[in-house]
Amino acid sequence: MTTRSLALSGTTRRNGFILGMNLELTAGETIAVLGPNGAGKTTLLRLVAGLERLDDGTLEIAGLIVDDSTSFKAPHQRPIGWVPQDRLVFDHLTVSANVGFSPRATPERVTTLLAALDLGELANRSAGECSGGQAQRIAVARALAADPTLLLLDEPSAALDVESRHLIHQALAADGRPAALLVTHDPVEAATLADRIVILEDGRVTQEGTPAEIRSQPDTRYAASLAGLNFVDAYARGTTATTDAGAGVVLAEPAVGPVHVVIPPSAVALHTTRPGGSPRNVWQATVAELSPAFDRVRVALDGPLPLVAEITRDAVDRLGLRPGSRVWAAVKATEVTAHTA
Amino acid sequence: MTAPRTVLAAAGLGVAFLALPVLGLLQRTPWTGLGDLLTRPAVADALMLSVLVSLVAAAVILVLGTPLAWVLARVQVPGRRVLRALVVLPMVLPPVVGGTALLFALGRRGLVGQWLDAWFGVTLPFTTAGAVVAATFVALPFYVVAVEGALRAGSDHLEQMASTLGARPLTVLRRITLPRLMPAIGAGLALAWARALGEFGATITFAGNLPGRTQTLPLATFLALETDPEAALALSLLMLAISLAVLIPLRDRWLPSR
Repeated sequence: MTTRSLALSGTTRRNGFILGMNLELTAGETIAVLGPNGAGKTTLLRLVAGLERLDDGTLEIAGLIVDDSTSFKAPHQRPIGWVPQDRLVFDHLTVSANVGFSPRATPERVTTLLAALDLGELANRSAGECSGGQAQRIAVARALAADPTLLLLDEPSAALDVESRHLIHQALAADGRPAALLVTHDPVEAATLADRIVILEDGRVTQEGTPAEIRSQPDTRYAASLAGLNFVDAYARGTTATTDAGAGVVLAEPAVGPVHVVIPPSAVALHTTRPGGSPRNVWQATVAELSPAFDRVRVALDGPLPLVAEITRDAVDRLGLRPGSRVWAAVKATEVTAHTA
Repeated sequence: MTAPRTVLAAAGLGVAFLALPVLGLLQRTPWTGLGDLLTRPAVADALMLSVLVSLVAAAVILVLGTPLAWVLARVQVPGRRVLRALVVLPMVLPPVVGGTALLFALGRRGLVGQWLDAWFGVTLPFTTAGAVVAATFVALPFYVVAVEGALRAGSDHLEQMASTLGARPLTVLRRITLPRLMPAIGAGLALAWARALGEFGATITFAGNLPGRTQTLPLATFLALETDPEAALALSLLMLAISLAVLIPLRDRWLPSR
């Protein structure tokens, strides 16, 4: 029998919003729940923490039933540690009193964690005087000091300075760490911290897998957008797939039935005249928007197939692209992937 | 922002209206004999009694008002709107009406008073304890409003945070809620105390006007106005000074200025 840090199977309803999911974490595992705003990520964490109740189903933490139709354990009776998104340090206490707040915290743990998160010199300072990055490090140390079996992380390093981010990630990846449930909308943070990713949209799980699995075969537009990929639903007959809007896409591998078509933006080439030669997929399109992305430019295209192309700044200048420009978009069939929907 | 002149003029008139009585008082105050007047036995008795009554009332207010404010701010009790209105009722009720109501509730023949008398031999009207009850009745809302406001202004996220760290509800109250509420508790208590000190109508109705037992400063002042106007002025000045000393530092805490 494996020890499960978390086993959730159930639903909860809040003002018309329904969150229903099955989720399991083994000891020491970190899962990232990724989802757009309003998907139910925070409700999920509040449910596990005991700040919300299940309407039906069962919630188990470390083998102990904490919420079902007949029993309910309050937050303080659950072996958890919570790292909130907002600044929730106890401003009226010192930094070390914050870290040692939990009745489960031992002085040794507090000392170790103060050092690990580079808070040693601030230990006797009032937490109210701390910067945002320091406050979030306090929150991480405070949650870990509570000796949790399950750590709940709500966007733990969103909008933090690089140094704090690094220290927090290091502390969360240390040996003997507890299992962790991370909710975030930052795919980089999810890939850095998590072994497995769960995509949550509108209260339901739409995909589960490793970051690599989700990148190679995203099941929803949102999942594809996390990796910056073009995504479209289509119906395949052999090597041609037809999108709902009627555009045809030539595939390298034949398929039959409903498919998710994925095209990396870097595979989309742009031309001012119809290109000749090998590309099998050529569509005429209008430039809708140009947005700089680090050293390249993302070009959003309106056409039979809504696409984003990622090209160099030089190419933008050479082609003289502006919003409204008419272009030809070309994609090699070998760059198009289609997987069964 | 620059204010239009008409608004400034009207505001100035308002200030004058409020300040004029104070100036009237100051202009007639017998400054030279002030020390003498305030140490006369009758005045000293009233002063001592007032201090005693208002401090005991403040202690009762602290003990009853804090849980009440917490419940009004944080607990989903049925009829909370009505309850909130009821709690501040003594702020708008004429104190004489309050005193009359207390008489019918806690008087020797009153709703509860008859049992207090029969079972414990306790009679409140016309006793110092009765003066404390009257002062508590009128001053409690001032404290509850201040503390409830502070509780409602802050979210309960810090309390939830503490509970996820393993703190029991009573520990959360002791280590998070109360320490963070201290400024509001202090401000509310000072205002309620000042209100208790100045209580007149409910006291004279419910507790009477017995020198040394229920004759507090305001009652003594009222009485002195007919027999010894200079003493009345001295007492008025004393209470004015106390009120200003409480209000100047605390008014912004009571009605948050943002």
